[in-house]
Amino acid sequence: MKQGGALVTLENVGVAFNAQLRVGSPRFWALEDVSLELRSGDRLGVIGRNGAGKSTLLRTIAGIVAPDRGRIRRAPVSCQLLSLALGFMPHLSGRDNAVLSGLMLGLRRREIDARLPAILDFSELGDFFEQPISSYSTGMLMRLGFSVAMQVEPDVLLIDEILAVGDAEFQQKSGAALRERIHGGTTVVFVSHRDEQISQVCNRALWIEHGRSVMQGDVADVLKAYHADPHALGVPTAA
Amino acid sequence: MRLHYFELVLFSTYAELRAERSRSYLGLIWWVLEPAMNMAVYYLVFSVILRSPQPDYVPFLLVGLTLWQWFKSCISHGGYSIWQQLPLIRQVKLPSVVFPSVQILADTVKFFYIMILLVAILWYAGYTPHVQYVALVPVLLVELVFAAGAAYCVAAIVPLLPDLRFVIEQVLQVMLFVSGIVFSLDAVPEPMRRWFAWNPIAVLVDAGRGILLYARWPDWFALGRVALISLVLYAFGALLIQWLHPRYVKLPA
Repeated sequence: MKQGGALVTLENVGVAFNAQLRVGSPRFWALEDVSLELRSGDRLGVIGRNGAGKSTLLRTIAGIVAPDRGRIRRAPVSCQLLSLALGFMPHLSGRDNAVLSGLMLGLRRREIDARLPAILDFSELGDFFEQPISSYSTGMLMRLGFSVAMQVEPDVLLIDEILAVGDAEFQQKSGAALRERIHGGTTVVFVSHRDEQISQVCNRALWIEHGRSVMQGDVADVLKAYHADPHALGVPTAA
Repeated sequence: MRLHYFELVLFSTYAELRAERSRSYLGLIWWVLEPAMNMAVYYLVFSVILRSPQPDYVPFLLVGLTLWQWFKSCISHGGYSIWQQLPLIRQVKLPSVVFPSVQILADTVKFFYIMILLVAILWYAGYTPHVQYVALVPVLLVELVFAAGAAYCVAAIVPLLPDLRFVIEQVLQVMLFVSGIVFSLDAVPEPMRRWFAWNPIAVLVDAGRGILLYARWPDWFALGRVALISLVLYAFGALLIQWLHPRYVKLPA
């Protein structure tokens, strides 16, 4: 199954969405032609401007979206998008929401039950854990969402711009936990439009533009090329 | 379905029921009160105002409506569930069949409360329990499979064709009348009645009434035929959802 440690391979992948709910409405190609190879232990950074197709690429790797053209090959590994507060229901307690979210993220019931003390501890919710989350502040909700999301340990972790959440104090803590996960040997695909984050986190980079993969390789090289391109800096080009 | 999804459906059902309970002041009481009020409306119209000449009309109506409302709520809740959960479907890799299954299961739990109340009322009215009650098990099981199959089919199509919602309510209204819920199908002229025998709900409601009111065993041949139709519909609905799933994530937000 594995080809030299390649976990996920995309070959000229294109993904089209329906632009409108109308008969015969044109399709919109969010990804035109993207190729990449993700190897075990990679920390791949995806860089590109807004609307370049970064989030769609993550959802394609996660297996949520199927390609409309090209090929995707995936070794038998779990790819999971880091999703906060997934499936949360406002009238349920923090505990029930943690179980529900964990199940949606692919954990078994007994796995979540075993991790509930860790979730309670990390989220610092105390007695609020048994209260309906409709009584939570935004910060508390974020803490619960992050604590649950961190319990899922996929083979390939896909991160869309999230590096830390919550108030200043929890940002430190959540950021540290996530960095520990990223540098602990997990294969990571990290999407960001901020190149300093990419260079901090990643050991390889992919640059996509208008749904096409432009360049893949060493972080410094890709960032250099990205900045050399006038489009990337948002400099208006002569019409 | 894999064991993991089974756990998800069970817990989501619990979550759904629990959330619903805490969304209103009376909570759990509404599970019974709402259908009871609905039944009262039909009772008022057909028994008090129109004075149905049929003997045993009130128990006839109550049994019919109880079985009908279960089916109807499965369609209207389960049928819209995938459409309503599209934001979630875009975020996480889950089989879409989970969502209607949760709604159907939640409605089935609520149905059992109503069923217990119905049986209690019937006992009180003099329809004492008897051994034929065991036949309720296959009858209710077949209705569950049929309701789930129909709900899956609707749930599969509504995301791609949300306009269907406007039609479904009307179709359900027609089904209510051609299934012999509020009036007996004996009133239907003979050549047409043959076609009604193919209507699963009509057969199931008839069987349910026979058991609860007249201690009559169901027509096993008719029930078997309905069971077969239901199983085919169920399989078709589940496959349709699986087949259309890749398109749901690509719908405009």
